[in-house]
Amino acid sequence: MGAHKPKRIGFKLDMTPLVDVAFLLLTFFMFTAKFKSEAESEQKFQIKRPVASPDTAKLPERGIALVKIGIDEKGDTLTYFAVISEKDRRSIYTAQGVDPAEANNAQVTVRDTVTLANLVLQTRRTNPKIKFMIDADKRVRYGRIEQVMNTFRSQGATLFNFVTVNRSQQG
Amino acid sequence: MAGADLGESSSKKKKGGGVKKPKRIGFKLDMTPLVDVAFLLLTFFMFATTMAQPQIMEMQVPPDITTPVEVAQSDLFTLYVSNKEHLFYNTGIDPIMRKIDIKDLQALAVQKNAERENDLITSLKVDPAASYATVVDILDELNLAEGELVDSYKEKNLKRERRFAITPITEEDKAELAKVDI
Repeated sequence: MGAHKPKRIGFKLDMTPLVDVAFLLLTFFMFTAKFKSEAESEQKFQIKRPVASPDTAKLPERGIALVKIGIDEKGDTLTYFAVISEKDRRSIYTAQGVDPAEANNAQVTVRDTVTLANLVLQTRRTNPKIKFMIDADKRVRYGRIEQVMNTFRSQGATLFNFVTVNRSQQG
Repeated sequence: MAGADLGESSSKKKKGGGVKKPKRIGFKLDMTPLVDVAFLLLTFFMFATTMAQPQIMEMQVPPDITTPVEVAQSDLFTLYVSNKEHLFYNTGIDPIMRKIDIKDLQALAVQKNAERENDLITSLKVDPAASYATVVDILDELNLAEGELVDSYKEKNLKRERRFAITPITEEDKAELAKVDI
């Protein structure tokens, strides 16, 4: 036993494989990491999305227009309209009813149904390929969603999507 | 490699510098700070990353045309969501509203559709006071039932045509719901 002791004193461990794996994982997580978007950092709430079966399609990264309905910490329901398409955003936010101070933001506040209707129409005029999404908090009353759906319908946007989160990944 | 090359070249330049050579051969670098930083960054990115990517559920509404479409009453299968988030259903033939659990909806929708093949028109009427989560749950159950139906139709070599709509709830519906929803 005593023969082993001196070896332990000047103990050196080859860390190379450990470092290899650590860097591999680090690069993986660095590339997959998705940070808060510009739009998300502007809003005052976080949307708790409703859960659905993992059967449906993924949310596209661009070429979409989101109607965000969320509840802030005071319990007020707020609606935002966000266009995720760099080239079309500016011209869409010139729609009537939008606060000119917000026209350069990533998303604009929707105060009434008329503004929303204008925005939807402007989006369809600017780029008819943009897909509409309703990204609402699960605690929102259905009446709000119905209003948005009716607005979509009145502007001819009859096909849209609800943003949900996978049941198994809910967290 | 680089370390070995450097050792050779330096030894050629300085012939008397043989004292430094043994050090380069058994070259060891203390990697501890490097590993520390690497792991720190690793943990940061692991916590910052969100694996749950949101997904989408497709929805279609009928275009804004005011002309009503005539449908056979026997083809109707209506689902109602009351302001207490309870789910009820009735059919054109059997107008009595029956309460059902959302988790049993998939089986019911499959059964009702199997009875009437492609003729069944499913409509969903939701009280504006109900929560959005309930609506998504119901849509999800109906989508699951739809998947099951498409599979069973494929076996029979039939084409499945979905007939589903979200329809506005009327005052009469609300009054009927209030009677059964205690």
